[in-house]
Amino acid sequence: MAVTVSNLAGRKNLWPWLLLAPLALYLALFFLVPLGQVAMMSVTEPRVGLDNYEKVLTGTLYRRVFINTFFTAALVTVCCLLVGYPLAYLMNHTTERRAMAILLLITMSFWTSFLVRTYAWMVLLGNNGPVIWLLATIGFADPPGILFTRFSSTLAMVHILAPYMIMNIYSVMKKIDPALIRSAESMGAYGTSLFRHVYLPLTAPGIANGSVLVFVICLGFYVTPVLLGSPTEQMAAGLIGHQIEQFLAFGLGSAMAIVLLIVTLIVLWIYSRRFGLDRLYG
Amino acid sequence: MDRLMRWIGIGIVIFIAAPLVIVVPMSFSTAASLQFPPPGFSFGYYVQYFNDPTWLRPTFNSLFIGAMTTILTMALVVPATFALVRHKFWGKGVANLMMMMPMAVPHIVMAVGYYSYFGSLRLVHSHLGVVLAHTCLSVPITFLVLSANLKGFDRTLERAARSLGATPRQTFWYITLPILRPGLMISALFAFIQSFDETVVAIFISGRDAETLPRRMFDSIRQEADPVIAVISTLLFLAVFLGLIAPHVLRMVRRSLVRVPLPKPKKMAAQHREAA
Repeated sequence: MAVTVSNLAGRKNLWPWLLLAPLALYLALFFLVPLGQVAMMSVTEPRVGLDNYEKVLTGTLYRRVFINTFFTAALVTVCCLLVGYPLAYLMNHTTERRAMAILLLITMSFWTSFLVRTYAWMVLLGNNGPVIWLLATIGFADPPGILFTRFSSTLAMVHILAPYMIMNIYSVMKKIDPALIRSAESMGAYGTSLFRHVYLPLTAPGIANGSVLVFVICLGFYVTPVLLGSPTEQMAAGLIGHQIEQFLAFGLGSAMAIVLLIVTLIVLWIYSRRFGLDRLYG
Repeated sequence: MDRLMRWIGIGIVIFIAAPLVIVVPMSFSTAASLQFPPPGFSFGYYVQYFNDPTWLRPTFNSLFIGAMTTILTMALVVPATFALVRHKFWGKGVANLMMMMPMAVPHIVMAVGYYSYFGSLRLVHSHLGVVLAHTCLSVPITFLVLSANLKGFDRTLERAARSLGATPRQTFWYITLPILRPGLMISALFAFIQSFDETVVAIFISGRDAETLPRRMFDSIRQEADPVIAVISTLLFLAVFLGLIAPHVLRMVRRSLVRVPLPKPKKMAAQHREAA
């Protein structure tokens, strides 16, 4: 059928291209060209050659920042999983009303901008904030400052990215047929073994989706680490911004940006080979 | 075990809710800087926000840029989505990938690109520059929402219209578009929010003249942590909350207007289970 339709007239084949053309042109001009310019600058600024990449890949500072970024992204992903999995599980095993309330809370958190939530953590963890106040009230005489440390930025990133994880796992758990669990139980699976051999494999797609999403967003995270993190332990995005804004080192910043982009694309590529990319954000 | 799970659950809910809740009392504080518990309550910072042009101008800039981005994004994405969902053609896979690509590229990478590219086009520090950049970033999410809607579209309705004598154009305006309206509105909302919340690219290219609200907030948080930000955060929470609650309230109002009581969902679920 489709073949005959497309063979009917040449004009018909042109139609989808006509619909697609404006956006294709737009993306070429305002997505591919700026991206190409970053790649270009990384090998031409300040002079032609691979100096910038050599610096980024061998310099101790840059290598430390990239390792730190990777490590932080992994840590945040694991923490999101530790927060998200139990909550998604509970949402599936509590009353409808409670599950809806929790879902509303998570959706609200999801729709609130990264910046506002980062600010909220700043308020919470500040030197005159509620957490310090609570610690002091309980009896910690002189609580240490927790703002502007790796701890505070990691905590805030977990909070900001947890909704992605929870929603992915929750939607997969919701679709599990209770009959599968019951039949596993009738065959003698219970407790840990039921969880390990039945529940965990069934929820694996949700875990994979959520983890990749959180990990990839975290790799390129700018706002929260810059505002809440320790200035001495920057993440890649923060350092790129720093190079451009403070030192006008376009070549070096661009080379770092390209490395960051390649790492991100490799993670997404590995994922898409297994699951298909279009499912990630669905 | 169950008890432990319950406490873990409560702990996680507090972890998620606390940052959303804390900003509200802070916005009514009388303290000159962030301080908990607030020494007193007043509307002082609300008055300050609504009278300070250095806060209002970025707010209007953000609303304007968001609106323009939405219009441009929809104008580009709607036809493209029709092409990609309804037609088969050579290179479709690549086109699909292209639509999603801006989502895969970290915003900081695009920020560096726009900063230098728009610099050479003299578009830095202009509303147009920010709109052009934001449109690019809004394409993937708008496309995702819209294509999901279009895939679920029952095309027999269009065929019925055509068989009853409607021209393709009439079918599009009187059948396709009205049915698709909720999907169009939701994807437009996504485009707007994407632009309104976008921070990183705006930090690099919006400059003084086209300064957006997130950029102003970012600068303020970095320098002095002005308590006015608590006011803005509270207002943004309120907007999100109302946006999420509105459909439920509307449905409840509509349901209360219907005379015949609908069967309770719980009962139906029970019946369904019995049948199964």
